[in-house]
Amino acid sequence: MFSRNWRVLSRAYSQAVTFRTSEISPQHQNDKQIGLFYTLKQDTCKELFSNGGLPKSFMKQTKTFTETTLMIRQPALDLINCIKSTDFNKPVIRYVLYGEKGCGKSLTMAHMIHYAYEDGYLIVHVPWVSEWLRRVPRHKEMSNSQTREGLVDLPLDAAAWLIHFKSQNQTLLKSSDLKISKEYVWSKREKTESGAPLSELVEHGIARIKYACDVIDALISEIKILSNNKQCKTFVAIDGFNSFFYPLTRLNTPTKKKVKPDEVTLTKSFLELTKNDWNNGIILLSADQLAVPDENQDSYFPRYLLRKQGFEYLDPFVPIEVGRYSDKEFLSCASYYRDRLWLRGPPEIETELKFTSACNPFKFMEQCAPL
Amino acid sequence: MSLIIKHCRSNGITSSFNLRIWRLNSTSMDVAAKKGEEEEEFRVLDILKKRDKVQKKVARRNDVQPDRADRMAVDQNWGNVWPGPKTFHPSSVPLPIRQGYVPKGQAPPGKKANAELMKIPNFLHLTPPVVKAQCEAIKQYCTEWPKLLNSEEAIEKHYPVEVITSDYCHASPSIRNPLARIVTLRVKLATLNLDKHARDKFLRLVGDRYDEKTDLVTITADRCPARKQNLDYVDYLLTACYHESLNVEEWEKDKTEDDMEYYDWDKNASKKSLVQWYLRMKNENVDLKDEQFIEYDISQIPNAESYKNAVSSLMNDGENESTVNNYAKEVRALLGLPEKLVV
Repeated sequence: MFSRNWRVLSRAYSQAVTFRTSEISPQHQNDKQIGLFYTLKQDTCKELFSNGGLPKSFMKQTKTFTETTLMIRQPALDLINCIKSTDFNKPVIRYVLYGEKGCGKSLTMAHMIHYAYEDGYLIVHVPWVSEWLRRVPRHKEMSNSQTREGLVDLPLDAAAWLIHFKSQNQTLLKSSDLKISKEYVWSKREKTESGAPLSELVEHGIARIKYACDVIDALISEIKILSNNKQCKTFVAIDGFNSFFYPLTRLNTPTKKKVKPDEVTLTKSFLELTKNDWNNGIILLSADQLAVPDENQDSYFPRYLLRKQGFEYLDPFVPIEVGRYSDKEFLSCASYYRDRLWLRGPPEIETELKFTSACNPFKFMEQCAPL
Repeated sequence: MSLIIKHCRSNGITSSFNLRIWRLNSTSMDVAAKKGEEEEEFRVLDILKKRDKVQKKVARRNDVQPDRADRMAVDQNWGNVWPGPKTFHPSSVPLPIRQGYVPKGQAPPGKKANAELMKIPNFLHLTPPVVKAQCEAIKQYCTEWPKLLNSEEAIEKHYPVEVITSDYCHASPSIRNPLARIVTLRVKLATLNLDKHARDKFLRLVGDRYDEKTDLVTITADRCPARKQNLDYVDYLLTACYHESLNVEEWEKDKTEDDMEYYDWDKNASKKSLVQWYLRMKNENVDLKDEQFIEYDISQIPNAESYKNAVSSLMNDGENESTVNNYAKEVRALLGLPEKLVV
């Protein structure tokens, strides 16, 4: 009983230790806080990532640790630094995160989404492109597009994404005066008037799943127009972007025809969004080995993963490497795990773990699990 | 022989009057009868031990000559004793040779009647003095080595084509080896003096026979049964490839960007996207054709030249940490972003 109380007490005390920072707003984080953990507020986290956005294993960990903390790392600070000095009247700049598996590309992206959220951006976030193109559950809803010949719709995925979009931008959609520029006619009886709020368009997509893909297409062109008119600034984050450029998806049409990524309406829409023909926005993409099949995971560099087509599409982009832990980051992470009782045992164990995990964040987390 | 039969009741009590013993006739009565016959005669002791005379064998000495190996002179001419290749013969070789399976604590079998020594090929006919003498003998048929070919470089310069064949020597009934027919021809690509187009075409023709590190083209032929034929064939292959690469066919004009052997930035999509980005930045809405993109002068775009070099090196030298970092640096300079944060 006493020891348990003691543990609870020390848990409460741990807010003031060396591996944490109280700077919870990404705008004010600076390079003095590199390697330190900051805690996301519970409701912010729910708003941003309740429909995906954090890796599954990390979600599990946050549940275990009863808090969502992110480490402040160099790539995120670098990105914030770049964004702060960006001229928003120029065409959007594309940033591509790359790095080995498990080094924290998705978490860096989550950090940046938090930044964008705090800074009042309209967030267009695709948690994992392969979820649409490569993951095939037993009943994958797929239909031929009504409006565009030869393309396929993924209405359920599209609607799920609209819900995600709505929850991430609920404050902006509720309060602001984001209006639609033109009238959209969905069918004989359904249409969205020009001048209607953007949220009406989103609601329509969620309510009428049949039109979800077309709604996304409309939404994206509206977002572009709104951004160009300086009515909002937009933060686009797409994880596993290289899936769009892999020659095949795992999808099959009912006639057993293999579907190429550019035959999916969602691909068309999001590729349209990642062109640099608009401004007042930021595009953050990631090239991930896990987004393509095993036989095409030889290298983690962006040109290889994006393939020729994707590279030419994005060029010029800013590659940003998310690397393994530095010594300082590793120590900080180890003491954080010790604090959460995720890691126990003698202090020498840390040198050993550093060696066996090769400072790879994901491997480190996994190897600590049974300790 | 006797027989005991026990009668038992089911209640477990054995009654004594039920136990009966028979003595069987066949056993005790016979033994007694035999005893009576033998008692009459004793064995006789032979004290003097008179034996039958055994004829003694006379050992006949046969006249065996001493071994030839023992009678050999120390300063004899070995080349005459063993002039050519032949199977091992113990009497001709005055050496204490042993060969074969070694039983524990014993020496290996000696040279006489030793099949192990006869199995293996020997080179007793190729002792250094013999080789020397034979070389001396054939010297009269040789010509003098050209004085100007005094170094490896000189040889390489005057005789760029190198032909590699193998000869095999064995002690089997046939002196032929099928592997001897294989002919390999090697030539440095630089010595062919090809122009840009011909070089590219030649490389595409020879495929993986070209080694980039050493600049050598290696052509191997083994499809004909005789070496001479293979030699002719590799010569033919080299000649054919050379002349074919000098030809320019009509269809070669259709070469597209995908067929290029190197990355030419000016003709690629990268330049197009750079120019488009630049025009957008200046808010000029101009629709350019592909030729105009290629001809667009990038010197007016700040930092474009180094960006071009970075993309070209990324594409041509392959993707690695340094080329990607260089690309990142140049793109940041181009887009006006601060340099990478160093911690």
